[in-house]
Parts: sequence; C-alpha cells; structure tokens
Amino acid sequence: MSAYYDENELDDNVPLSGSLLHKLGGVIKPHWRTLLGGVLGIALVAVADAVFTYLHKEILDAAIIAGNKTVLWKLFEYYIALVVIQSIAVFLFVYFIGLQGERIRYDLRKKLFDHLQRLSLSYFSKTPLGWIMSRVTSDTEKMGDLLTWGIVDSTWASVNILFASIFMFIINWRLAILVVLSLPVMLFVAIKFRKRIYYHYRLSRKANSKMTASMNENITGVRVVKALRREEKNLENFKVLSSDMFNSSYRAAFLSALFLPTIQTISAFSLAMVLWQGGIMVENSFITIGGLQAFISYIMMILWPVQDLARVYAEMQNAVASSERVFSLLETIPSITDFPDTVEITSLLGDVDFQNVSFHYEDDEPVIRDLSFHVPQGNTVALVGPTGGGKTTIVNLLCRFYEPSEGVILVNGQDYQDFKLKDIQSRIGVVLQTPHLFSGTILENIRYGRLDATDAQIEEVAKLSGAHEFITSFEHGYQQDVGEGGNLLSVGQKQLISIARALLANPDIFVMDEATSSVDTLTEALIQKGMHQLMEGRTSFIIAHRLSTIKHADQIMVINAGRIEEQGTHETLMRVKGHYYNLYTHQFRQELETRLDPFNSKNNEDSRRN
Amino acid sequence: MAQKAHTYPPCDMQCVISSKPLISLWHLISGFHWQYFGATFFAGTAALARTGVNLFLGYFIDQILIKRQYGTKLIEAALIFAALIAGQAFSSFMSGKLAAQTGEGSTRRLRDYLFNHIQRLSFAYHSEAKTGDLLERATSDVDTLRRFFSDQAIGIGRITLIFIINLTAIYRINPRLAGISVVIVPVILVVSLLFFKQLSKSYASYQEQEAVLTTNLQENLSGVRVVKAFARQGYEIDKFEGNNAEKLRRGEKLNMMHALFWPISDLICAAQQITSSFIAALMAIDGVITVGNFIAFAGLLGWLIWPVRNLGRLIVDTSRALVSFKRITNILKVPEENLFIASCQPENGVKGDISFDHVSFEYEKNHPVLQDVNFSCKAGQVVALLGSTGSGKTSLVKLLPRFYEVTSGRILLDGVNLNEYSRDFLRSQIGIVEQEPFLFSASIRDNITYGMKHEVSQAKVEEVARDAAIHDVVESFTNGYDTLVGERGVTLSGGQKQRVAIARALLINPRILILDDSTSSVDMETEVQIRAALENLMKDRTTFIIAHRIQSIMDADLILVFDQGRIIQSGTHAELLSQPGAYQEIYEIQTRIDNALQEEIDNVSLL
Repeated sequence: MSAYYDENELDDNVPLSGSLLHKLGGVIKPHWRTLLGGVLGIALVAVADAVFTYLHKEILDAAIIAGNKTVLWKLFEYYIALVVIQSIAVFLFVYFIGLQGERIRYDLRKKLFDHLQRLSLSYFSKTPLGWIMSRVTSDTEKMGDLLTWGIVDSTWASVNILFASIFMFIINWRLAILVVLSLPVMLFVAIKFRKRIYYHYRLSRKANSKMTASMNENITGVRVVKALRREEKNLENFKVLSSDMFNSSYRAAFLSALFLPTIQTISAFSLAMVLWQGGIMVENSFITIGGLQAFISYIMMILWPVQDLARVYAEMQNAVASSERVFSLLETIPSITDFPDTVEITSLLGDVDFQNVSFHYEDDEPVIRDLSFHVPQGNTVALVGPTGGGKTTIVNLLCRFYEPSEGVILVNGQDYQDFKLKDIQSRIGVVLQTPHLFSGTILENIRYGRLDATDAQIEEVAKLSGAHEFITSFEHGYQQDVGEGGNLLSVGQKQLISIARALLANPDIFVMDEATSSVDTLTEALIQKGMHQLMEGRTSFIIAHRLSTIKHADQIMVINAGRIEEQGTHETLMRVKGHYYNLYTHQFRQELETRLDPFNSKNNEDSRRN
Repeated sequence: MAQKAHTYPPCDMQCVISSKPLISLWHLISGFHWQYFGATFFAGTAALARTGVNLFLGYFIDQILIKRQYGTKLIEAALIFAALIAGQAFSSFMSGKLAAQTGEGSTRRLRDYLFNHIQRLSFAYHSEAKTGDLLERATSDVDTLRRFFSDQAIGIGRITLIFIINLTAIYRINPRLAGISVVIVPVILVVSLLFFKQLSKSYASYQEQEAVLTTNLQENLSGVRVVKAFARQGYEIDKFEGNNAEKLRRGEKLNMMHALFWPISDLICAAQQITSSFIAALMAIDGVITVGNFIAFAGLLGWLIWPVRNLGRLIVDTSRALVSFKRITNILKVPEENLFIASCQPENGVKGDISFDHVSFEYEKNHPVLQDVNFSCKAGQVVALLGSTGSGKTSLVKLLPRFYEVTSGRILLDGVNLNEYSRDFLRSQIGIVEQEPFLFSASIRDNITYGMKHEVSQAKVEEVARDAAIHDVVESFTNGYDTLVGERGVTLSGGQKQRVAIARALLINPRILILDDSTSSVDMETEVQIRAALENLMKDRTTFIIAHRIQSIMDADLILVFDQGRIIQSGTHAELLSQPGAYQEIYEIQTRIDNALQEEIDNVSLL
C-alpha cells in the first residue's frame, strides 16, 4: 500500500523552465488586479523611501543651513503629504498582496482537491497519503509565497535601489558611481550567505523530523524500552540526532548573525570612501552638506533591499520545486474515465458475468488471471481464500474502481464499460472491512448514502440495520458526533452505521468486505441481521469470514493466486474435502472456541491498560 | 557533516522547577549565563556604536565641514566612520552568535534531558499520558523556548538598551527635544501590544480552520473508496469548498488586520518624527542647536521610535513562551522511576523461585485489580494464568519486572522481597514476549539484538532466529537481516513479529519468562511454528504464560484460574480436571466442539 516517504527527502533541484513560468502565469492571471495593486503599492513605498532621503537633504540645505523658515514650512508640508501617501501605499500593498496570497492558495487547494476527486483508485493505492497531503497543504503555501511575497519583495528591492541610485546620480554622479559599483559585490556576498543559511536551515528541518520520529518511537515503545533496559543506548542514539539538529540549527543561526554585519562592513568601505571624497567635494562646493548627508543615508539603507533580493533568490528554488510538484499532480490523468458513447441506465439489475477477466497493475505480475464466472440476479456470492489471493481485486473490478486488463465484465449482458462510471458506482452499495466514517454527526454519516433522504427515512434504515438502538442510547441520539474518522465509536457500531448508509442508498448490487476483528456477540448478531437486509433481493458479493455468511451463500468461490480454486455450494465443496473443507473446519473450531469460552463473555476495561 | 562530540555544560533540570517562571528560565540557561550576558552586552555596544555613528555625523558636519577643517582630518573622520560601523557590525554579530549559543545550546540540553526523563517515567504515568501530547511538549514547546532565548529574551533587552542610549544622546543634545520626542512612545507601545495580542488570537483561529481543512482532506483521501462507491465526488467538492472558503475568509480578516496596523502605526510614528524634527529644525535655524546636532538628532530619533513598535510582538511572544515552558515543567516535575537502587543483587543472577504472598494491587485507589493472590512456584516451572480479559492476569505479570509496585502483600524471588532488587537488575533477569510485540523501525538484526548491551555475532543472531522459527522468513527478504521493519521497510505479520520477539528473548537468555500466548490470529501452519519456538524458549526457565486457550497450557506445572482479580482455582491440569469448576467447563468445550464439527461434516455427507 502506501510506500514510506519523507517530505524532507524530496529533490529540490528543479530549474525554473519556460513552461513552468507559463503555468505560474496561468495561476496568477485571474488575480492580475490584486497583483497590480500590490506591485504599484510597493513600488510607491519604495519610491517614497528614496524621496524621503532627498527631502531630508533639501530641509538641510534649503531650509536649515539657508536659515529660511518659509521653505522649512513648505518642505514639511511636502513631508507630511509624502508620509500620508506612503501610508496609503503601505495599506494598499499589504492589503492587495495578502489578499492575492490567500486567493491563490485557495484556488490551488480547490483545483487540487477537485482534481483528486477525479483520479482513480489505483492512483491512491500507489501514492502515499502523506505525499498528497503535503502537495495540497505545504506546497500550495510555498507557491502562494513565491507568487506574492517573492514578487513584491523583489519589486520593492529593485525599485528602491533604482530610485536611490537616480537620486544619488542627481546629487553627485561621481560619488554615485562609487556606491553603485559596490552593489554587485554586496549582492553577490548576500546571495552566497542566504543560500548557505537556507541550506543549513533545511538540514535542521530534516534533523528535526528525524529527532521527532525517534522521540515518537521511544514514547510509543516505552514499555519495550523499559523491559529490555535500553534507556542508556537510546539516549545515546538520541543525542547523536539532537546533536545533528544543534549543529545545523546553530550553523544557520551563526550565519544569520554574520550575514548582515558582513554586508554592513562592505558598505562601511564605500561609506568611508564617500565621506573622504565627498568631504573634498564639499570643500570645492561640488556637493552640499545635505547632499553628503543624503549619500550617507542611502548607503546605510541600501543593505535592506540587497538582503531582500538575496533571500527571494535563495528560497526561490524550493518554491519552484513545490510548484513543479503541484502541477505534476494537476496533470495526472485519471486512469479510469467514461468512454465516449455511453448508454444511460436506470438500474444495474441483472446477471453479472466475468468473462476471461485478467488484471494487473501497470507492468506488474497479474493479480487476477483469466477469471470467468456467472452470477444470476439476486444471488449471493461468498468469496473466501487467503489474504492477497485476489478477493479484494475482484470486488474492486466489479465496482469499476479498476478495469480489466483483459476480458470483459457484463451486467445484464452488456459490457459495463458502456455505462457511465457514476451510474455504476451510485448503484453498487459497498460496506468495507474497516468502515470509514467522516467527522460529523451520525445522521450526516448515514445520509451520505442518499443526500436527499429525510430524517424519518434515515431512522428507518437505522432500524433495519440494527443501529437505531445504540444510536438512541447516545446523549444526542442521531446528532451524536462520531469524532475524526468515526473514532468515538466502536468498530461494530461503525459497521452498523455503514450498513445503514448502504441500505439508504438502495443499491442494485451489494458488496461487502466482512470484518475479521471480533465484535461482541450482540453486535455481531445485529450486523448479520443488517447484512441479510442488504442481501435481500440484491446480487451480493461478500468477502466472507463468518461461517454463517459463507454457509448461506448461493455460491462459494475459493480464490487463491488470482484464480478460482474451488467453486460451488457449501455442501458440494465440503464433500470435495479440499481447500474449502480445511478452511471451514479450522474456522469452525475457532468460532466455537470463541463463542463457548466462558471467559470470553465478560468484557472488561482492563484490556486497555496494557 | 562532521560529528561533533555532544558536550554541553551539565545541568540538573530538576533545579529548573520553581514557582517563579523568570527564575526558572534563568536556571534553564545555567552554564550559558556568560553567553547570555555577552549577547546582551554586545547588543548594547552595537546600539552604542550605532548612536556613535549619528553623533559623529553631527560632529563631522559641525567641526569639519562647516569649520572647513579638511586634509588629514577628513581622512581620519572617514576612518572613524568606517570603524564605528564595523564596530556595530561586529557587535551585532557577536550578540547574534552568543544568543544562538544560549538558545540552541540550552534547548539541545533540554531536549536530551526530556528524552531521557520521559523514558524513565513510570508505567503508570505512560498509561495515562497521550503520546501526541508528550511529543508536542518535547518538540514544539521546546522549539518555542529556543526562539525565546535566541530572539525575544535578547530582543527585549536590545530594544530597551537602544531606547535608553538614544534618549540619553538626544538629552545631551537638548533636554527639551528629548522630552518632546518620547510623547508618542506609550501610545505606540499600547497600540502594538493590543494589535499583536489580537493578531495572535486571529492567527489561532486561522490555524484552527487550517486543521479543519487538513482533517477534511485526510478523511476524503483515506475514505476514497467510500466516496467513489457512493459516487459522492460532487458532495465532497462542495464540503471542501465550504471549509476552503472559510479559511480564505479568516485569512482575509487576518490580512485586513495587517493592512490596517502597519500604515496606522506608520502614521503614529511618523507624526512624532515630523513634529520633533520640525521643532528641531526651527531650533537649528534659530541657532539653539547646531546643524550637526540637528542631523545627529534626526538620525537618533528614528532609532528611538520605530523599534518600540516591535516591542509588542516580543512581549506577546514571550507570554506564549511562558505557556510552553509551563507545559514542559509539568513533565519535569513528575519523578522518574529509580532503576538502580537495590539492597540485593546476586552476581550470578537469580534462580527463579517465585512466591506471591497475599498480593493485592490497584491502579487507582479502591479499584482493586488483584486481591489477595497467593501461590508459589519453583525455578524452571511453568505457571499458566487463565481467565477473562480484565481478570487480573496481565496485571499480575507486570508486577514481576516492577513495572508497577504491589499495593499490599509481597512477592518473593528466591526468598527475597522483590523490591530489594533494583528494577534494572530484575528486568535483566526477565524476558517478555508480548501478544503484539512492538518492533522498532530498525533492521531485523537490530530488533533481535535490541536488549543486548554488547555486540552480538551474526552467527548467534541466526542461531536464535532459527530457534524462533523466523530465520527462513528473514532469509527470504532481499536484504536479509538488514531489512528494515516498519514504514520504511517490510511490514511483518503479527505471527512474524511475535517470533522476532521470541528470538530477542532467546538472546537475552533470561531466568524468568513472561509469555502472552495468543495464536488465535494466525493460521494453522504459523501456529505450529510459534508453538515449537515457544517450547525452545521455555526450556529451563521459570515461565509465566498468559493463556487464552486451554490446549497450550495442559503441561503447565501450575495453572491459576482468575476471576475478578482473585484466584478461583489452582493446580495441575489433572487436578483441575477432576474438580467441578470453570476449568472443567472449558475443557469440556473442546470435546463439544469436536463433536459438533463431526456432526456438521456428517450432515453434509448425508445430503
């Protein structure tokens, strides 16, 4: 089933290709207004930042040094106006970009989820659940960041540098050249730093997840740890992991601490040069005092856009890799879809035929080999045999979760691939071995079988399935919350609810995977009763574990290694004294032992405290 | 990456527990106090250097540019500038580095300590505690503390120092200006505190919705067969859409808060800056202060006002760190179980005579699980425990390795009271094979040798694996004994896991053995194999078998039948069979089953 996978081991060396850019453009396109608003806002902020410094220069030169209060008043009016404009710009950019980020993430999640609903079961059986989850949760976050803050930060930084440079050139072009020349050096160093920091940061994330896993295992297995006196050794092993974590985490923090000071020191050189050269220019009146002061401000502030650019650049690769994964999921083609020219059907009643059906996953060994059988309408088929023999696959084929690699499956004489998927699946009722419920109330869970069912109808099927009694014993009755995945209910109760759910759907074909886990005798009897309700008048396929189910089937098939090994009724198969005979006698002993064991009737809470 | 020796200043975390959280936090970084002081000190020198730059700029303009003192003075000034900036850079680097040492170092120590502490807490504690909760405290709460030490603890000090230094500098330029410039500070502080408090609330609600969305997604994915079986894709899409849209809505609200706070706080700060600068500019024109002073003041002012805006965030984060810290100390407060205290430790191990003398035991007060249990057995004998779930048989065997202590009465091992042996020693003498053994996600070899304190040769591992009837299974894997167990490797069946546990117990070679004998979930062939493996294991050891079926215990030297914590019958198979009671009843069932089965088969043949 789900293969092992660790989010931190994913490859991030994905180059930003043209086609990817195109796709990213497609994601932004519906939001071009907010993007435009955000980019304009941030650009305005950046320009205002540069103008402020220039305004300071004017205040110094034209008002203070010149001793002119009228000009001072005027300049301060400008100043106030600029502050107000910038505040509005800040509001606009934070508002628009934030909005855009939320909306893009919302879009991506929606697209992914909708697409996932279309994918076939085979996709889910070969893809780890955690992998899919990460695509929908963390990758959409990273993509959202790239398409908002990535754009905005780099815009701010570029515009800021651009306008600071323009003003510097206006004030004095010779000094400006000096400053502009130092920029590439700063940028180069900053990017190097940022990449290293990011690298160590990612290492620490990896170390952290290993550490957490080790901690988790030690807590869940603490009884074995104690019994086998592994405390010392496990602590030693853990110390290696926590030391890895410390090393990478400290390294990242150390580099972060070193990063800005290094850039600052580089800028200190250009500052000293500017002061020295600028001082000489003041002497010769090539530059005013205010102009020199403005230069100092520009130099001291330029490290912020530089560090922002470096950060965006360093983290972009990871976000690009996230985007690539998101798109690859969106581009996965469902392996089972409706064929053209499907026929409308209103029921799936009729005989079911498997004709020379074989099935294999992609290039694997066949799981089902040349299987043929005929089931008359209304009959019950019990599938028995060892785990991995192919029983579940047969059922999945019948539900068209998978399609035959060879051969055909006929319902009422017609190939079921001529029907619409939705038509087939809404007419087959399925009860799984481990019943799956959704968070919500009992009522909602039963209603899942037919969305327009009234409360009275729901109560009716609950009575038929034998679930009504325990439901009404709950404090909130049908409104009782079942918990995440139904985990507030017992296995038996979940099964009864899933039977009621299937009953409500009123299917033409009924498929059930009987539970192997034991439930108490009363519940067991209720489940049996519910099943009979469902089998009544319907063609039924049961992956059977209980003797009574098997015995009452019209047909029994022993499935092993993808083939039918024995087929017939209980009586005929018993007389053959083959696989079925062995299976039956073994099961017979076990069931009776369980049922007759005087210790088994009492259930106590002590079993939970192991 | 090179493996550094994991050393750090020692600290007994028990000293961390104190009713005053600040004192506790101080203890938590013991051994890093100098680093912490250093970090704060350098934060101060960085602020001083930064202020120095502004002051010197004023001096430079007044004394050099306006007084036209060029030549070497100019070069000197340029160098002083560069030196001040470099000084600031160096100081911030040192401050950051020392803060990281404090934060990373003390939390690594805390993590190691917690790991060890948790694994040494009693069984009673672990059976009550939730794994997820313990894990959360040992990881994300510790991480919150790490951030506290490397960011907030230094950050609050840094901002305060910057404020004081800049205010002093402004005061020395002109006391009136200093007074005017701080008018707005309380306002900013309050606004920022309120905002970040509200923000953290809204953020929590946003994250809550994120959790809802994740649950929705996970349930949809794990229930994909149900969704498809009922063809409910449309319904699922609508449901997800509802939660997704709610997240969007909460995100938009969060966004609006940011969009309002930043420009408004900008305006507040700017109002102060404009007013103060304007007054200062007027002063400069009137000659109250020099031009250089004005420039210095303008620079200092920014450093006085803007950092205060962040103080709110730091304070709110700090209160969050205190919550995390409290959750951690709650674990630290729980006493560890002592493994080594002992007054008796035989050098050659124990023989294995065991007797229970009026033993009673309860997990909770007044809910006895075992009542007045009396029996004894000789070394090498087999004791079988029979009874329903909850009758006390599992609890009884947990007393032997002292996972729990008896409530009253005593257990004697070789005539010595059990609590005179250390837990560590006892556990070295006892092997346990559970019904569903817990295997670690390591190689099969590591799982077999898990209880050994020294290296074990491959030959020895294979030998015990053969005796445990698991060797052939292991050999069939591509990587043999190096095959990983669990998520990353193979999934072993219940029966296979049990045999690995048997091999593990064989290797330890204990004097006393505890078996939870359940073969009901395995097929016939496996059952035979496990039974053979168990027989190998039980040879010459005092064995306690928790039996679920009568067939496996007929040869036991002593059979104890439990009901509601009491022994209701005891004796050998033969003895018990001759007296009416539960045991006889069970045994008769076996015959009845055989008869029923025969009847069933006969019925079929008659048809």
